[in-house]
Amino acid sequence: MKTPKSWQDGSQAPITSEDPFEELRDAFFARLRSDRVRLTTFAAALAHTEGDPACTFEDIQLFAHRLRGGAAIFETPEVGIAANALEQAAAAASVAHADRSDASVWTALENLLELLQPNGS
Amino acid sequence: MHPEPVIATPGHVAACLNDTVIQKSGPLWQCRVLVVDDDELVRRQLEHLLRLAGYDVQAAGSGEEALRILGAMSCQIVLTDWQMADMDGLTLCRNVRLKDDEGYVYVLMLTVRNTKRDILVGLAAGADDYIVKGVPSEEILARMEVGRRITQLESSLRASNQENGRLSVTDPLTGAHNRRYLMRNLPRELERARRYDHPLAILSCDIDRFKRVNDRFGHEAGDETLQAFVIRSASCLREATDWIVRSGGEEFVLVLPETTLEGANCVAKKVRQVLAAEPIGTSAGPLFVTVSIGVTAVETADELASVSVVELLRAADRCLYVSKNLGRDRVTAASASCASA
Repeated sequence: MKTPKSWQDGSQAPITSEDPFEELRDAFFARLRSDRVRLTTFAAALAHTEGDPACTFEDIQLFAHRLRGGAAIFETPEVGIAANALEQAAAAASVAHADRSDASVWTALENLLELLQPNGS
Repeated sequence: MHPEPVIATPGHVAACLNDTVIQKSGPLWQCRVLVVDDDELVRRQLEHLLRLAGYDVQAAGSGEEALRILGAMSCQIVLTDWQMADMDGLTLCRNVRLKDDEGYVYVLMLTVRNTKRDILVGLAAGADDYIVKGVPSEEILARMEVGRRITQLESSLRASNQENGRLSVTDPLTGAHNRRYLMRNLPRELERARRYDHPLAILSCDIDRFKRVNDRFGHEAGDETLQAFVIRSASCLREATDWIVRSGGEEFVLVLPETTLEGANCVAKKVRQVLAAEPIGTSAGPLFVTVSIGVTAVETADELASVSVVELLRAADRCLYVSKNLGRDRVTAASASCASA
């Protein structure tokens, strides 16, 4: 698959093309790599931070929603599906005042992290 | 295995355009689209797509910014995300519908929220169409084309209504207002004069021996005479405030807000002189034409309070009859209370 390779090959995509769509697609893939970093921060926050976990769940939900929207526009459905799962899980956890160890959130988070991993599995 | 993703390239967009009615319906009607999305990459992707499709595109990163842009310029279509940081797409929709804009704004909501309830809520907030993110570029462009068609239709209907409205109160021969306009707007002028305690004057004009013009020189010459009267009398009036009505065949009413009887008398004398000064060039040759004028005004608090529109018109007509009876081609002026007595 052409598109996933673009963000999973680990290289910074040069934004030099004359095709604006290609430039934007490259920029999106580059952002997916920084999104993965952000997701690891969320995971760390869930694992270690003291305080009200609902704030973290809301942050995750909003972040996953943005990721899902971008994935839909840049036609990377596998990212969209995984982001949707995380958004739904975080929303449910937030409403239910779930514990930081909420299994649904962790599963969705780990799935997305794995999907966005450079040189993906 | 996922299918190969379809990325919107210029070639791809061109192919989309060939498949839609955009190119079949001729050049694009100038249509400005406001793209609203708080994700910069998504926003830029949509901007490129729409620009390539021929739209004039503006972009906003939030609902509040979108409202600021809509306040500064007219946009025919708003393509907006739902979930945004400050003002969401629903609130933006509601605000757009509350705005008293001259033209209709067609709102498309483009979001990943895809439940039936989401769609109903979006449409209830005022969106005209609802697109779930992830549809192919062709579908976005096709739905934009629907919006473009509808706003174009609305614009032409609005222009047509305005023109019909103008024609319904305009005399087609002379371009002056007609009696309907007089009876709709003279009461407003009188009410305004009462409210601010300002004078209001009217001139009742009748072109002398007009029937003879028609009988001797033909209706074309008669029509040209009426047109010349309107042009010449207009040159004696203030463009911003005064107005002319063709109230009958060769009868005209000139309405002069903020004008005393003395001031209106001066205007009437000018109108009489400007008509009599030079012959009117007609298809039957140059014609010397004169006009008789009756002038009246409401000035005092008593007059303003007591004189009705009908009485005002009647008072001007009485003065006009005096001018006619005294030999025509003259001006007679009297205050509304005196003329009515």
